[in-house]
Order: sequence, then structure tokens, then C-alpha cells
Amino acid sequence: MATAPATSPGSTDPGGLAGGPAAGPRLGFIRLRKKSYAWALFCLMVVVAVIMLYPFWYMLDNAFRSAGQFDRQAGHSLAGWRELFANLPVASQMLNSTLVCAAAIAIILAVSTTAGFAFAKLRYRGSGIVFLLVVSALMVPLQSIIIPEYVNLAKFNLTSSYAGAVLVYAALGTPFATFLMATYYRGISDDLIEAAVMDGLGYERTFLRIAIPLSLPAIATVTVLQFIQIWDDLLVGLLFLPTSQRTITVGLATLSAGRTTSIPALMAGSLISAVPAIIVYLIFQRHLIKGLTLGMGK
Amino acid sequence: MSLKSRRRRAGIVLSIPAVLLVVALLGVPIGQAVYYSMTQWNGITATWIGPSAYVAVFKDPIFWRVLENNGLLLLAVPFAIGIPLLIAALLNEHVRGWRFFRSVYFLPTAISWVVIGMFALRFFSATGVLNELLSHVGFGSSATDLLAGESSALAALAITFIFSMVGTNTIIFLTGMATLDPTLIEAAKVDGLNRWQIFHRVTLPLLTRFVQFSFVITVISAFSALFSLIFVMTGGGPGFGTTTLEFFVYQTGFQQVQFGTGALYGIILFVIMAVVGLVQLRLIRADDSEGW
Repeated sequence: MATAPATSPGSTDPGGLAGGPAAGPRLGFIRLRKKSYAWALFCLMVVVAVIMLYPFWYMLDNAFRSAGQFDRQAGHSLAGWRELFANLPVASQMLNSTLVCAAAIAIILAVSTTAGFAFAKLRYRGSGIVFLLVVSALMVPLQSIIIPEYVNLAKFNLTSSYAGAVLVYAALGTPFATFLMATYYRGISDDLIEAAVMDGLGYERTFLRIAIPLSLPAIATVTVLQFIQIWDDLLVGLLFLPTSQRTITVGLATLSAGRTTSIPALMAGSLISAVPAIIVYLIFQRHLIKGLTLGMGK
Repeated sequence: MSLKSRRRRAGIVLSIPAVLLVVALLGVPIGQAVYYSMTQWNGITATWIGPSAYVAVFKDPIFWRVLENNGLLLLAVPFAIGIPLLIAALLNEHVRGWRFFRSVYFLPTAISWVVIGMFALRFFSATGVLNELLSHVGFGSSATDLLAGESSALAALAITFIFSMVGTNTIIFLTGMATLDPTLIEAAKVDGLNRWQIFHRVTLPLLTRFVQFSFVITVISAFSALFSLIFVMTGGGPGFGTTTLEFFVYQTGFQQVQFGTGALYGIILFVIMAVVGLVQLRLIRADDSEGW
């Protein structure tokens, strides 16, 4: 960085100082200014990075301690991890999280790709209003309906298994996923779809063989976005899952609310529960970012 | 069957599952919630009260205390937007390594707010990181647990909320900045504007749409996504210090098993969110007519 000439990235001239070739003797000064400006920005970015990463460092540092080592802030051991595994069925809760995520995402993909395709390419009278109806459900805060939801699911005996939570996650994810898929399918040419239908594929098979393969990037975006949302969720899992089928996030939150578990054990639990989401983020961050910004309607 | 009617039929068939799912699990419960809100119900016996249930709630000082917390949390919104705006501007200078830093800044977006709350709990405690930092700069004697005082706990919650929003809002602004026409910035430079003037007079006005979007997302999150943080950090306390409307629904409905009153709070939350949503729709429409 220090050896970079004035053409270092981001070296756009600050105040239009290098207005003309007559700037001769001042050029060295300008270069210095540019370089120190880039350095200042770089240092600022490092400071922000330290703040954003500090919680992770804190968890990592303190997960490997015993309660005593935590109080003294000295020494490391696996005591926290042992306590965690003794108090929380980590493996089975990670499995629960995985199963709940997989089932809910499967439903979301099944209904949002079909509906998105219908709203974009198979418009019928009133389909615009139906689309609006589905997407406007985005504005319903879960807390507003959570009591009747609980009553309904309990009535159908869906709160004694994964089913209730899976259905609620699926319903919550569907509006945005449908919006995203419809937006994506609108970008596919009508002629392509019509040609496939004319060739005798029919609408259903055209959807399966032409539209689905073309929309894999959008499907990836929906999957990643929903995975992180469902994996990280507390409220739905807390209320609608039976204790034995709790997800890791719910298990961790209730363990913490008990106020009897040592901090190192909680930090260890935080870390291990975050690992899958972090891995997915690191691999698919492009898709995640696309999904988050698509909401802007562009 | 004609091609057109086949297409129509296919369209209806393919959109039915999504409509059913959304109507059954999100639509119908709203109607039920409105009904529940006018009953006194503990899950077993229901007594119809009618709209006077709302009058009773509006006379309840605890309800206003909770709503006040929601109002106070709105004070965090300018920070939850302003800080990411500055971070996005920083990244948008494209100094060497900016892509790496972008990934780092967005990382907390992938993390559960349960986990963030778990760290925040330690950060704000009497023996926590914040007090340690403060003692280093000479405030040693005032080591207090921020989560033990009503207003300081709300402040701690607000700060944690701001931190949790940084990733999402930075993504929004960075996306916005990428859509800007670089020649406008160049022209401003030729006109002799300095960096701050360019940011303030050129970049910011062009980002209006994105700021509006992030404003709506941030307000919605402040009112309906803090459950995890509150559950882990304070449980709504001390007293009602950090109980917001969404947490009040949970407490009333599931801890005190007053389904009727809980549903009523939920309906009030729904109305507030609907107003925010309508404002957003109007803003988007206004922008569309300007050719955005």
C-alpha cells in the first residue's frame, strides 16, 4: 500500500486540485495527499472491521474457558464446551434446525416458483390482484397473528411435531419468495415460453423443463435468504415446536434465559449455532445480497 | 380447449398453493385476531366484550408505557441509517481491500439476533466489556450493569439494535451508490466541490429512494424484529423498561395466557405497521411518477 503510486485504487482527486498541467510543483504534494487520504480510509475501514468482528472474537476467546477462567479472564480450557454439551442436546438440535429449514424451504420453493411463474407468464383475469394479495402479506407482523395461529395449529394437533413450525415458516417466507420469483420470470421472454408450449410441452412441463432451469439463480437466492432467516429465528420455534424438537437457536435462547448456565458454555453454544449460517453466508453471500436488495423493487 | 383458456387454467392451478398457504396461515388469523381482541379469553372460556376492550386498553397506563418504549426506540432509527450510510460511503471509495471489508461488515447479517443478544448481555453487564473500556478512560467507579436500569436497558437494547442493522442497511446504500452515474460525481469535482460537498449535495439526494427503503425496513425491524434481542437480553425488564408492543403480545398471550388482550395488542401493532407500509407505497409511487 505504502509503495503504491498515485494511481492507487480510489485515488480520485479530492477537490479538483489537479485542475491543469500547470499544477507542476504541487504534484508531489497532491500525490502525498491522495496517498494519505487512502491510508486514512484504510485505517477507518480497519477500525469498523474490528468493531464488527469483536463479538465473534469475544465468543471465541471466552468459549474456551471454565467459569473460573472467565472471571479471571486468564487461561483456556474445554470446560465451557463440556458444560454446553451436558446441558444442551447440541447435535439433535442442530439436526432439528436442519430438518425444519429443509422442509420449510422445500415448501417455499414449490409454491413460490409455481405462483411466481403463473403471475409473470400465465396471467389470468384478476391475477394482478391475487399477486398483490400474496405479496401484501409481507406487511403482516407475525406477532399480530401469533395467538390465533397458535390456537389453530394446536386445534389440528400440529404443535406436537415439526409440522406447525414448518408451515408457519413456509407461509412467512412465501410472499417475498413469490415476489422475487415473479420478478425473475418477468425477465424471461414470452416467446420462449409460447414456443415451448407450441412444441407440445404444455404449460406444466414448460414450467418444469424450461422455466425452473432458467431460474436457478433466483432459486438460490430464495434458498439462502430463507435458510438464514429460519435458522436464526426464535419466536416461531419457541412457541410452535415441542421441547424435544427445538432448533438450536431456540435451545440456546432458552438455555440462556434459565440464567444457570455459565457464560463460557453460552458463548460456545452461540458459536456452534452460528457456524452453519456463517458458512452459508461465506459461500453464497452474493445471492444473499441480491435477495436483500431486490426488495427495493428494481 | 383453446390455448388461451389452457393458459388461464394453468395460471390458476399454479398460483393456488401459494394463495392457500398465505390465506390460511397469514390471512385468516388476522380476522380471528380482530375477533379475539374483543373477547376476554384465557384459552378455555371466551366472553365477548366488544370494542370496549380497546377502550379499557387505552386507559391502561402500562399499555402507554410499552408504547412509549416503541416511540423511544424510534430514536435509534437515525443512527441505524446514518452509520451504515457513512460506512457505505467509506466502502464506495473503493480503497484497496474494500471487497474484503464489505464481506466483514455484512457478516453479522447472517447471525441470529439471539447470538448477538447473547454477546450484548455480556457487553453491557457490570463486569462486561463496556465497563472495562470505560474504566480504562477514567470512569472506573461508575461500573454499573446497564441492563439493570429501566432507561439504560432500553438504551442498551437500542445500541444493540443499531449494531444489528448495520449490515443490512450498508448493503442497501452500497447497492444504491453503485447505481449512481459516475459522470455526475466527476462533474461535481470539476465544479470544485470537496468530498463532503459531493456526498452531501450530489450523492445523498440521488440516494433518496434507498434511504426511504432502509427507513421503512428499519422502522419495521424496530417494531417487529426485536423479540430475540429482548428475550435474551432483558426479558422485557427491568419492570416494563424494555417491553415493546411485540414483546407485550408474547407476555400477555403466552406468559399470562390472556389471549384476548394479547391479540388486541397484536392488532394495534398491525395497524401501526400498515400505516408505515402505506407510507412506503406512497413514496414508491411518487418516485415512479418521477421516472425513477
